[in-house]
Amino acid sequence: MEVTRDLIRAGLAQARYITTDAVETVLYLALTLERPLLIEGPAGAGKTEIGKVLAETLHAELIRLQCYEGLDEAKALYEWNYQKQLLRIQADRDQGLSGEEVTQHVFSREYLLERPLLRAITTPRRAVLLIDEIDKADEEFEAFLLELLSDFQVSIPELGTIRAQHRPVVVLTSNRARELSEALRRRCLYLWLDFPGVEKEREIVGLKVPELEPRLQEHVARFVSGLRKLDLHKAPSIAETLDWARALRALQIRELNPAAVRQTLNLVLKHEEDIRKAEGKVSSLLAAATK
Amino acid sequence: MKDQLLGFFDALRQAGMTPSTSESLDAAAAVASTGIERPVLREVLAATLIKDHADRATFDDVFDRYFALPLHARAAGRKAEPARDGEGTGRGGPGAGRGQQPEGESGRGMDQKHAQRAGEERERARTARELAKRRGLLAKPFRGMDGRDVEALRELVAELSRRLRVRWSRRVARAARGRLDLRRTIRRSLSRGGVPIELLLRAPRPGKPDLLALVDLSYSTATAAEFLLALLAPARGFLRHVTVLAYVDRPCAVSFEGGHLVPHEPLDLNARSDFGSVLKLLAERYDVALGRNTLLLVLGDARNNRRPPRADLLRQLHRDVRSVVWLNPEPLERWNTGDSVMASYERHTDALMAAWSPRTLSAALDELARVSLG
Repeated sequence: MEVTRDLIRAGLAQARYITTDAVETVLYLALTLERPLLIEGPAGAGKTEIGKVLAETLHAELIRLQCYEGLDEAKALYEWNYQKQLLRIQADRDQGLSGEEVTQHVFSREYLLERPLLRAITTPRRAVLLIDEIDKADEEFEAFLLELLSDFQVSIPELGTIRAQHRPVVVLTSNRARELSEALRRRCLYLWLDFPGVEKEREIVGLKVPELEPRLQEHVARFVSGLRKLDLHKAPSIAETLDWARALRALQIRELNPAAVRQTLNLVLKHEEDIRKAEGKVSSLLAAATK
Repeated sequence: MKDQLLGFFDALRQAGMTPSTSESLDAAAAVASTGIERPVLREVLAATLIKDHADRATFDDVFDRYFALPLHARAAGRKAEPARDGEGTGRGGPGAGRGQQPEGESGRGMDQKHAQRAGEERERARTARELAKRRGLLAKPFRGMDGRDVEALRELVAELSRRLRVRWSRRVARAARGRLDLRRTIRRSLSRGGVPIELLLRAPRPGKPDLLALVDLSYSTATAAEFLLALLAPARGFLRHVTVLAYVDRPCAVSFEGGHLVPHEPLDLNARSDFGSVLKLLAERYDVALGRNTLLLVLGDARNNRRPPRADLLRQLHRDVRSVVWLNPEPLERWNTGDSVMASYERHTDALMAAWSPRTLSAALDELARVSLG
């Protein structure tokens, strides 16, 4: 499938993902240059969503690897199915097979547990590999990942080298909990995904919660944007904005006023301190949002 | 266009960024496939050359200077791409271009949108600058820090120490699982025809280690010492007993409360460092705290003012305690220069690590967990 900018624009529209021209450009580049794409930005700005949307656009399988402290090759790449191998050895021995034959049986693909990274390489279809929150994994894992990302091949001592049939599209996301290595950054294209501006967020609300009055949609977007400028523990994510919009709709609130905001604020802010801080500023935020 | 790109890479390098050859090739290939429309060109070059949002503000500066628009095109350019804040670009404030727009288009809605976008751009540049500041602080040598840096560092401590705690707890959990017990595994396998279906593990080493931290509080290392103690504070859950001793020329019990060091006996900060006599007094007065289960953590530059280093005492201690880990808050190239006698102590440590900046110090503490808990 030829990748064009129109294709991406259409794909994003179909997946109902609203974004800026800058992001579109970078996605296009990632697909044409076949480079992994590293996305950084605040939590809840839609980084993971990009991986999903890309898969939908390309009609590709989405393979997701969620990183965490202590993630290792056995969980990310492959592992031998130890118990199953033992059973096979038992069965083979009963049949009087030679050691060589047994080895051949036991070290075959059938006894290999494919983890996400290996699956992304071996899958016959084109795949989008989403490596989520790479900053949570250890540095050692990152180094190991580098090798994979440059060659898209894996060497399994007992089986030989497995090469990717189709280069998967790789998307990595990071919340900057840890600084990623220079080497990894160099191999990737880079995208900083910030919260959308008021205008874009209003569009998103309009698309996902169309039942809400347009005027209220705009007020919600502006209010949340004001909230994000406060120095909070965790700024409200886009998903939380949408939750809030849906709640306003469900509660049949027709206008943002201090009482309504206080009643529903816990949908956008999830820390007690944040809520307290925001409550003190509700009136000034409201004035800015509804002017 | 090729020459222009090469010139641009040079301009970036002059601004202190280091696009590699492969990144430059990427950039060229990307430009070839997307064209050179100005706003697109900006994003394309940024995505291929700038791999950290912290560098974005500098990049935008260089881009604006290098691909400057001719004067008459600026007004039009402003319309085509989002207005950027004029800081340091020499292109005038956000208002400059807008005034020149044709009457028909400069309605209120248009104006408002422009203002909004300009605000968003400013916001983005601000984030970038903050990230750059933070990165700079983490890499800054303790030696060159002033009061403002120390203040900013305090704000980072909570985040860094939380991360450290996560890593430590994982080490501990892994250690608690214990190593494979071959004898019991094989014995158990006999009941299944010699197939070791179940793996049995040896019981983990019981008890948490004691920590004795010995930190140099003399002028040259005080910032590093305070940062170390702040980072260690939440790690206490993994340790049984923690003793903190500060020293200049003699050890002195201190406690670390609310982010500040509180000495329990008078401590002469202006004395001349003498680690030899510190070791002597340590062995005499604190031998209770130095057992087989003690992890001795030293933070110091091993600058002894030409007094006897008494490395023999450290050797003795090394034999008595669980492990000795030394953190040196000086850059590697300064060790063993002048009055530094690092080499004579190095032999009697389990690990010696450089900890001259917040980043290297936190990395060293990671390593410490591996040495002492894993």
